[in-house]
Amino acid sequence: MFGKSRLGGVLAGAAGLFLLLPLVAVIPFSFTPKRFLSMPDGEYSLRHYLAIFDPDTWLASIGTSTLVALLSSVIATALATAFGIGIWLRRPASGRLLIGLVLLPIIVPPVTSAVALYFLLAQIGLLDTIPGLVLSHVVMIVPFSVIAILSALSRLDRNLELAARNLGATQLQSIFRVILPNIRFGLFAAWFVSLVMSWEESSVTLFVSGVNVITLPKRIWDNLRLDLDPAVAAISVIMILATTLVILFRKSEA
Amino acid sequence: MQRAIIEPNPTSPADSKAASAAMSGSLPMQHPNSVAAEVRSLCKTYNAGTPRAHEALKDVNLSIRANEFFTLLGPSGCGKTTLLRILGGFEMLTSGVCRIFGEDVSRLPPEARPVNTVFQQYALFPHMTVRRNIAFGLEMLGKPKAEVERTVDRMLDLVHMREYADRRPDTMSGGQRQRVALARALAPQPKLLLLDEPLSALDLKLRQKMRLELKSLQRETGITFVFVTHDQEEALAMSDRVAVISNGRLQQVGTPEDIYEQPQSRFVADFIGESNLVEARVARCIGGEAALDVEGFGQVHAPVAQRVEVGQKVWLSIRPERLVLGAGHSDGQATASIADRTYLGNAVEYHLRAGEHALTARSPRGGLRGRQDFAPGDAVSLGFEPGSIKVLLS
Amino acid sequence: MMRAHPIPVRRFAATGSLVMLWAWPVILVLAYVLPFAGVTLWSVTRPEFGFENYVRIFTGADFQAIFLRTFWVCLLSTAITIPIAYLLAYYWVMGGARRSRLIEICIFIPFWISVLVRAFGWVVILRNNGLASDVTNALGFGELSTGRNVWSVITGMVHFMVPFAVLPMASVMRKIDRRVLLAALGLGCRPLGVFWRIYLPMSLPGVCSALAMTFIFSLGFFVTPMILGGGRVVMTAESVFVQMFQTANWGLGAALGVVLLVVVFAILWLSQRVMRIEQLMSR
Repeated sequence: MFGKSRLGGVLAGAAGLFLLLPLVAVIPFSFTPKRFLSMPDGEYSLRHYLAIFDPDTWLASIGTSTLVALLSSVIATALATAFGIGIWLRRPASGRLLIGLVLLPIIVPPVTSAVALYFLLAQIGLLDTIPGLVLSHVVMIVPFSVIAILSALSRLDRNLELAARNLGATQLQSIFRVILPNIRFGLFAAWFVSLVMSWEESSVTLFVSGVNVITLPKRIWDNLRLDLDPAVAAISVIMILATTLVILFRKSEA
Repeated sequence: MQRAIIEPNPTSPADSKAASAAMSGSLPMQHPNSVAAEVRSLCKTYNAGTPRAHEALKDVNLSIRANEFFTLLGPSGCGKTTLLRILGGFEMLTSGVCRIFGEDVSRLPPEARPVNTVFQQYALFPHMTVRRNIAFGLEMLGKPKAEVERTVDRMLDLVHMREYADRRPDTMSGGQRQRVALARALAPQPKLLLLDEPLSALDLKLRQKMRLELKSLQRETGITFVFVTHDQEEALAMSDRVAVISNGRLQQVGTPEDIYEQPQSRFVADFIGESNLVEARVARCIGGEAALDVEGFGQVHAPVAQRVEVGQKVWLSIRPERLVLGAGHSDGQATASIADRTYLGNAVEYHLRAGEHALTARSPRGGLRGRQDFAPGDAVSLGFEPGSIKVLLS
Repeated sequence: MMRAHPIPVRRFAATGSLVMLWAWPVILVLAYVLPFAGVTLWSVTRPEFGFENYVRIFTGADFQAIFLRTFWVCLLSTAITIPIAYLLAYYWVMGGARRSRLIEICIFIPFWISVLVRAFGWVVILRNNGLASDVTNALGFGELSTGRNVWSVITGMVHFMVPFAVLPMASVMRKIDRRVLLAALGLGCRPLGVFWRIYLPMSLPGVCSALAMTFIFSLGFFVTPMILGGGRVVMTAESVFVQMFQTANWGLGAALGVVLLVVVFAILWLSQRVMRIEQLMSR
């Protein structure tokens, strides 16, 4: 081909390293035997990994985050699927406008979304509660699910629905017996994306919760702002490892 | 000038009557049970009321008889697929009535119509095996399990796909998918089977084989087939009757012979097979035969079925294979010169210039006596086979 | 004989898919758009009715400094992000299988990892006495003063933005027909010329959307700047957080949120106009 200069290749490699650098950098710090964040010199310890299992702090937050992520990803995927199939089936004249509205939370600055959701939860008395947090997360992650669902539906032959209807299936039957089974990978992708997004959500979470309901990102945030507990390094290493494994696994599958 | 000899009108009166009845909608149906589907004053406008409004069908009247192989033929975008989709319930009509076996289905959703469809790209359910695909319609009818499996087996045999029963559609060839799509659509025993260009995705040899299979399947099952195609050869080969559609309007309905031999408009003459079309003016008209003036060409005689006025502008149509070329030129005959010669294997095609007109003639090579070969530049005389000139008013 | 009872069937066809279609948009309007209207109301009623908050934002020297800083930091981060992302996108799309896979991994691991973890990684590297200082010490340059300043913030923001910016560029690059490039080579254009005269112009739409996206994202982002700036590099989004929760000045925070949103939409509108003009010129 063309334009593969050696310099360009080296620069691209450097850019790739730049992206991985902070992720690699935290690894040694998680093994420090000291109480504070430091580079271990010769001596290694797993004490900060054990600290993660403290049921009052880290483990509680992991539990909260898991609960919130599971709830909001399932709700978000259901809502996004209904919306996507509705658009696909009806092809309304206002379709582009509706999709624009639904994608709004991606475009609007997260801090503005956070203020709006704070306002809402303050009005209905759900600030700093699990339901309130789930609602906020759903608002923020549905757009990502919708993108995944719409892209799966765009690859689906429209005639499949007509064929099902033609063979006597009602619209509801054709949705459950033909459309959904054929976009199952898109459904999974939508659910998985929204699960990760909710698990990692920090901007809105910081506004609408933090005293009674403390998610993992909120706890990491507090630690980063206050005392740089090496347990953050341990948590980070575990999350980096999990992400890397998932990505490598999916690559080798494809 | 060789005279076109008048022949008795070859159209069988019954057919032309039915055709004109179907087109005008003026005659009441004599046996309602023999009509499988009919549309009356059917109009379909897309994006009605917007600047992008598009009239896909304009005042269509059509009756499809029970047990016939009926073809909707026309160029792409002519409205034939829209008509099929209205019959299937995939598209709501804008105005008019659509009846299937006497029942008004205009407002029924597709699942409530006794109609099944074979889609252009088959639309087989990719997540199901062949067996489950074929069973789908039966399950939707709530048939007992044993009966479903029995019918599926029968269908698999009917289309010779028994050994593929547990395969998925994406592992099969176009022809095999085609058969599965047919079996799936036939399994619930619809009263009407709609086929939307089902052969267009197949290669030529397979297409010809499937034509025969489809035709015999239709005869075996006795189900009314409504077949949509843009391929006139396909239409002529398979159909009991053909409806030619152009620009959202029904042009002509009749048997394949009817449509080919007795085109009623320039569009039909040109779209079905090939035609030389020449403008002419009526000079005289006596007793069903007219003398027609063709500019730069002299006068020709041809039968006319409709009323014409002296001086009226009409078009003459003649098939290339019915144009007879003679060597040299003798007095009183129209002459032309050969502009180009194309060898076609089973025939030779000559492109002629005769005054203002460009004509095409085709002759089986060396087959018939008196048909000699010509080279570009040769002068030839033009003759017409008896009854070969059709007078078209539109 | 008709097969199903048409009445309930039709009812679902008419209302079932309608409910599916509208369920989320309606919830979104109730739970998001309307509350935003409430926020706007806050901005003109708290602490008292009037446009005082906006007046303060647009005339106060402190806010002008914040806006100026926001503008420069976002501009710089975007300007650094785009070339890095372009390079990665290019080698991801055009590179050999092996290199392309490596780059893909480099892009997607950070992409999926929490922004907090990524910021933490930079804290470890850039804080006073951090890894970067260790390196400069070892090389004999002495202590590097990097902790909690503008450059740390920009580094973290660039790191956050690069994977996002790669995606639109790569999707445009993937659509470039390689035969066009071969044709240019065949017409005697030198490889570097093919890049500048053919490839770059063809990939420009992706660059434009990456540009708009990067700038918009960086405007509204506050987690990374707050961690890496440690309160010394306060930008607009961060000041919303500060007004809401540290000084409890809800009206002012709301007004800032509104201003931020208006700016983002203005940029979106502008970038779309620019793209339209570009399309007009290319025709």
